[in-house]
This record gives sequence, structure tokens and C-alpha cells, in this order.
Amino acid sequence: MDTSNGKVVRSHCVGTTAVVYASDYLNKLTGEKIEHECRRQLNCGCRALVIDFSDTKLVNSIGVSILLGIIDVAEKCGARIAFSEVNNETVQLFEMLGLTRHVVLAKDEREALMNLSHYETAPIVH
Amino acid sequence: MSSRSPSENFRRILGRVVQQDFVGRAGELERIMVQAEPANAGRGLLLLMEPSAGVSELLRQAYDQLFNLRSDVIPIYFAITPHETTAVSAAIEFLNTFVQQYIAFRRNEPVVSNAPLTLQELLELAPPADLEWIEQLVESYNRLRFGNDDKALVRFCLGAPQRIPSGRGRAFVMLDGSQLAEYLNGAVVLGTEILRVFGRGSFSFVVAGLRRQILEAAHDAKCDFELLDTLRLEQLDTAEAAKLVEHVARRQQVATSEIARDLLVQQFAGSPFFINIFLQAAREKHASLISYVDCERLYVDELFGGHIHRHFADLLEEISPRLDTRHLLIRLLWEAAAGEDQVSSFEVWRKRLHMTASELEDVLHRLHVQEFVNWSGVIVEAGAGPQAWKDYLKIRYRLDVLNEPRALVVADMLADSLKRAPHTMARHYKQIADAGLRDLISRFNTHRVPTVLFDYQSFTNKYKGAESDAVISGLAAETEFFKLPQTIHLASCAAFFSEMRQICEEDHCLIAHTFEEGSYSDAQQVIWLAADIKSKLEVDLEVTRAWCDRLENMAQRLGFTRFQIWLISNEGFSEEADKLLQRRRVFNSNRQQLGLLAARISETVATEVVETSERDEFLMVVPMGEDNELIAANTAEQIAKRLSFRPEAINQIKTAIVEACINASEHSFSPDRKIYQRFRVESDRLVVTISSRGIVPANLNGANSGSETKQAAEERRGWGLKLIRTLMDEVEFERVDDGTSLRMTKYLRPQKSANE
Repeated sequence: MDTSNGKVVRSHCVGTTAVVYASDYLNKLTGEKIEHECRRQLNCGCRALVIDFSDTKLVNSIGVSILLGIIDVAEKCGARIAFSEVNNETVQLFEMLGLTRHVVLAKDEREALMNLSHYETAPIVH
Repeated sequence: MSSRSPSENFRRILGRVVQQDFVGRAGELERIMVQAEPANAGRGLLLLMEPSAGVSELLRQAYDQLFNLRSDVIPIYFAITPHETTAVSAAIEFLNTFVQQYIAFRRNEPVVSNAPLTLQELLELAPPADLEWIEQLVESYNRLRFGNDDKALVRFCLGAPQRIPSGRGRAFVMLDGSQLAEYLNGAVVLGTEILRVFGRGSFSFVVAGLRRQILEAAHDAKCDFELLDTLRLEQLDTAEAAKLVEHVARRQQVATSEIARDLLVQQFAGSPFFINIFLQAAREKHASLISYVDCERLYVDELFGGHIHRHFADLLEEISPRLDTRHLLIRLLWEAAAGEDQVSSFEVWRKRLHMTASELEDVLHRLHVQEFVNWSGVIVEAGAGPQAWKDYLKIRYRLDVLNEPRALVVADMLADSLKRAPHTMARHYKQIADAGLRDLISRFNTHRVPTVLFDYQSFTNKYKGAESDAVISGLAAETEFFKLPQTIHLASCAAFFSEMRQICEEDHCLIAHTFEEGSYSDAQQVIWLAADIKSKLEVDLEVTRAWCDRLENMAQRLGFTRFQIWLISNEGFSEEADKLLQRRRVFNSNRQQLGLLAARISETVATEVVETSERDEFLMVVPMGEDNELIAANTAEQIAKRLSFRPEAINQIKTAIVEACINASEHSFSPDRKIYQRFRVESDRLVVTISSRGIVPANLNGANSGSETKQAAEERRGWGLKLIRTLMDEVEFERVDDGTSLRMTKYLRPQKSANE
């Protein structure tokens, strides 16, 4: 959980996957908080990220831009990323702005964790 | 002595506007009242006026205040008018005015101040206690009047206030229009005589005149400068000028808008004279001043044949009375002002105007005094003067010299003025935005500030994403501090290197001469070179290096031995750029750090205004920032719900509004930092209009931003408009004079396709 910058960004780890919770309005400020927390979790050794949008009612374009930045960072670290519990309107927005091409959308946190753990444990076939 | 009088008993005597309507010169009025106090008895005040800054009403208001105070100070106001043709006639008129206003005050009858009375009639009105000395004064005057010594007569008339017997009050003489005094015919130079006589009299006085002329007259009169104070009278600042426009418009019953008001303030550079005559013209022509077109139409009318035309025509006639030389002068002035090289020699002017040296000296002196040219004796620099003067010259040149058809010149001038109007406002808004950096550096005065405010990367590592309260408390807990120097001189880089104008706007690159610890020694002298780099993103290595090189080079060329470079960018600097900045010991900050630095030096206060609504239409104004776009979005949600929009559509409307608000906040250099929203409910649709004042961004002219070719991050920041177009059914930019207005429509049911 990131508490270094005032308002708390809720997060927890499940194995090597970090779950980060977005707030009700995702804009520049809250987006940067999430970015900060995601970077922190990746630096601590997490191999996958779930960003949970269950509380999120509204996302603006700057927020989406920051999410794309997080996806870039995760890709560079070789980490997988999933978004969970995104409401329909936000899904539409993500689709419009091409975000869904880069990220797995899951119904809820459990499904997201399952998807990511499946990827993590998938056997390498030669 | 207080300058305040109980308004219920206050009598307006010479003032042309009521006390409450006299705006913009409160400080100056207060200063004149101080001059009338006993402590300043025998002292003079020179009001050094910028041309067209307006002084007459200020002196008339001072007269009214002093008259109403009923103290022992007897106000005397005298204006030299163009009707006076000789120094003698002006001096006689002064004597008459003095006696009249003295008697009016002593009788406490304001009406006497304005009545057309002869000296003989005034004698009949004189109070018994004053009759004897006034009779003696008139007798002496009559003796001198029929003598041959004009100088003695002038001095006698001007010295009349010191003949008031003791115990009958102290005269406080306010002389207005002294710029005319120099040019009166006759052997006596009235301006010099006024200052000579007043300077040696025992009474207090104010002499108002053009700043370039009055100081020269004081030197010529060999005034004792220890007994003279000066007060500079310049154009009004933006806020005061705006207030003046509002007051005068109300008084003249001219309908105006905020947009028109602000344009007039900028176009006339806060000149009370031009603002007054322009609004007077609007009243005479029954013109409303709502839009830019309204203002510019009237302006062009005024240039071609109204008050502004007459003002400049009269001045030109005074400067060059002969018609043939006036034409040559117009040609020379315009060609010099419009050409690249505005500086030429006295000899060049003499040849072009076919004048003798003394004739040209006279013309140049008058032009210099009016600040239409800067003349040093050898070199003449044209191109000065207010915009209205330049426009007037241009039309006179085209009409009189080029003989172009009047209709064409009128149409061109109107089109040019209209095209110029948004640029005038944009320049003003940029100046306001840039004033931040200029103002900030100018206020450096050995304050201790956290070092992290000059290091973007450290700041970002510590505070990125933090709430403002958390940042403030974090900064308060910082342990590393930097002591700002004391700024003693600040100027644009362009003032040192004119080529900098090609690279950035004037106030984006500044040079400050400072001293550390406020200690004035070579060892403590540091020159700061600050540049505000315009960028929506973090500035990259290449741009950062270019700016470092540029400023270092500049410091070397100017011979600065100790200097400090400070780079500022909206979004800070990239990691690679940061390494370079650290290596070269360059201070660097983003906009947020700049704001925090300013807050450390002084507090700023935000305001919020909410307006009322009417039937089927909701109006709302919210300040930019602080997530206030959510307030707008939530309001739209409530309204949309009443119209039974589907939840999905409601969310689309909300997102579009949020994006429109962000666009308005990010791009506009808005002067009032407010977003104006209008929600109009119709039977089948909701129309939302989001407006803001300020600059129209280049990519918001109704077309797509064309950001595909830009780099990815910048492209993402251009998504707002694209999103709005996708989410709403109709999106269009409304034409407005000042700023942007985005109208978005959402239909209650989906629109039918063209095939249906």
C-alpha cells in the first residue's frame, strides 16, 4: 500500500501479483498515484499487475494516457497486466482510445488473478 | 487633512463626474490632497503626465474636495485652453479665475466658481472683509494692463495668490494644461514664467503637464527642486481601466460587454483620455459596444472623422501649421514608423521636410514632447506613440499621400483592426501568464526556499501524485534550503539580444541582476538567466542542451562572470535531460514547483462565482482546476436524468464535459480562470456549451488535432477533442470574439442514419 504521498492508494499482493485499486475519478492526479504505486510494486519484484476499477465511475483522457504509460512500463519489465471490474462506460472509453488492445479485461479481481496466474504457470513447450 | 467628505453634503462644483464615478486615480488624488496640507505650504507638485493619460478631471475632483472641506485651504483651478493665444491673455484669464474662485470659496457659493463674471462684477460680490485688498489688486492690474511691460503684467497676474492677506486662507493653485503654455505667442514664455512665479510664491501649487516638457520648463525657470515634488501620471492599469470603461459606459448609457470592455482597455492601453472620448462617441452615435466588430467599426469611424481624428488633426496642426509641410511630415512619420529602420538623423529629416534647422528643431521638439518620436538632438527615432496615432498616420498617408480611394482605406482599416483585436487580447493574456515568472523573479529578496523547488527530478521523486496539502506539508518538513538572492534589475533577454525575439516571446527568457544575501559586492553578484520553455511534455535532452548552450553563450557574450541558469517547463524535464542539468548545475523546475515557489513568497487567493439560471437553461461558472470539471459533469447528469437519457448516454455526456473542461483549462491562458457552462434543455436533446476566455489553441479550430504524426505521448494528450466528437452527436465551435466556445449536442434518441 502506497502511503508516501498523502492520500492512500489501496493495494495488496497475491504471490507475485500486485492488485492496485483505482479511485472513483481517474484523472491526472489519481492516475499518477496509481502509476507511482505500480512502479513501486514492480520495483519490489512483482511480475504481474491487476488494476481494479470497482470504485471507478469516471475516467478522463489524461487518466487513460497514464494507464497506457503504466502498460508501457509493465511491458518493459516483462510484467503482465490486467484490469478488473471496469464498468461498461469505461470499457467503451478504453475501446475508443485503443487501450483494450494492450490489456486483459477481467470481470473481477478473482478472474484477473486467475488469468495472470494461468499465464505465470503455463508450461514452456519446446 | 482627510480627502473624504460626507457624500450627502458633497457639492459637485467643477468635477464633470460625480465623486463615486471618478475611478482609477484614487492614489493620485490622495497625493494632491496631501500637497494641500499645511506641512507642504510653499511647496510645488509637478504632475508629470504621459500623453493622453488625462489629468483635468483629477484636478477638478481635487478642487471639489478642497472646496467641500471648508478648511483654510482655498482651491484655485485654472486650465490653459487652446483659446488663449498669448501669454498675456492667459495670465489675465488666470487672474480673473483666481479672484472668482477665491470669492466663491469665501462666500461658500459654488455657483460663483462657474459664473461668467468680469472683475468689476466680482468686486461687487467680494465679501466686505476682502473688498479692500481685492480692490487694490484690481487697481494695480488696471495700471499694469495699460502699460508696455508684458512680462511685468504676466508676473503680476500669476503672482496674485500670494497677495491674499494673512488670516484669510491659503491659496492652493492647480494649473492644468501647461503643455499649451509653451506655444502661446508673444515675448513671454508662459510655462517658464508660471514655474518661476509659483516657485517663488508662498503658496502651494500643482502644475500638470506633459512629462517631457514640464521638467524642461522647471529647469529653464531655475526652480528650486528642493521645494518641488513630482508625481508621475501614467496610463491606468488593466483593472482600473476596466472599471473606468464600466463607469463611463454606464454614465454615457452605452451598452457594453465584458469582451468589448477588455478590448478597449488593451486597444487604448488604459488611456483615460481615449476611453472617455471613445465612449462619448458611442453615445453620440447611439452605438452599442458588445462585440469586436462594434468596437472596431466605431474606432474606424473615429479615426476618419470623430473625436480621435480631431485630436490628432489638431495636434498635427499645432506641430506643423503649414499644410505643405504637414503632408511631408505625415509621409515621413509613417514611412519611418512602418519601415524597418526607424532611426535616422536630424539632417535626413531636414532634407526630407525642406525646412531650416530651427524650423525642424521646433517641429521635432513638439513631436518629442508628445512622445510621437524620440529625439536626442542628433538622432530621430520614429514609431513611438499610441496605436491610435499609428493608425491615424497610416490612413492620412494612404488618403493624402497615396490618394487611395477613401472606401478602400476605410475597409482595409476596419479589416486590419478586426484582425488585430484577437492578437491584442492574446498578447495581453500571454503577458498575464508570463508575468508569473517575471513577477516571481522580481520579488526574489533573500527568501529561504526548499532546494527541491529548483530540482525537478528530486521533486517528482518525492511528490509526484501527492495531494497539494501533502506537498505543502512535505515542503515544510524539508531540511535543505536555498536562499534566494535579491533581485535589483530584471529585463527580457531580448533587451540584451534582439535576436532572442525570434526564439521565444519576450517574457519567456529573462535576465536578473541579483546579489546574494542582499550584500552589494562583486563576490555576491550573480546574474540569473531564466527561460520558460513551452512544452506540453517533459523537455527532452536535445532541447534542454540547446537552451543551456544558448544561455551560457549569452552570459559569456555579456561578460557575466558568475551566473545561474534556471530552466522552467510546464511538465519538467526527462531523465536524460536531468543528468545534463545536474552536470551543468542548472536549476530546473516545472510549473507546479514555480507555483509553490510563488506561494512561498506570497499567497494567492482563488475565487469562485456561480451564476443563476433561467427557464430551460442552466448557467454555471466554475473556477478552473481542483477537479471542478466533476461539478460540471454531475450537474449535467442531474439535468440529463430529467430528460430520461439512458445511463450510458449520461456517462458519455459527463465524459465529454470533463474533456471540454480540461481542454479549456489546459489551453486557454484564461485571464479569469473560469469555465462558463450553459446547459440548454430541448424536447429531444441536451445542448451543452463550454466556454472559456483566452487564446484559441491552434488545434481547436473545429478540425481534428492532426496529432497522428506527433509522438505518442503528445498524441494521447490530444485525445480530448477526439473523444468529445465520438461521445456526442454534434460538436461545433461557436465563433466568439474572445476565447473558445464548444457546443455539444446529445439527442435523446439515436439519430437516424442517412439511409433510413
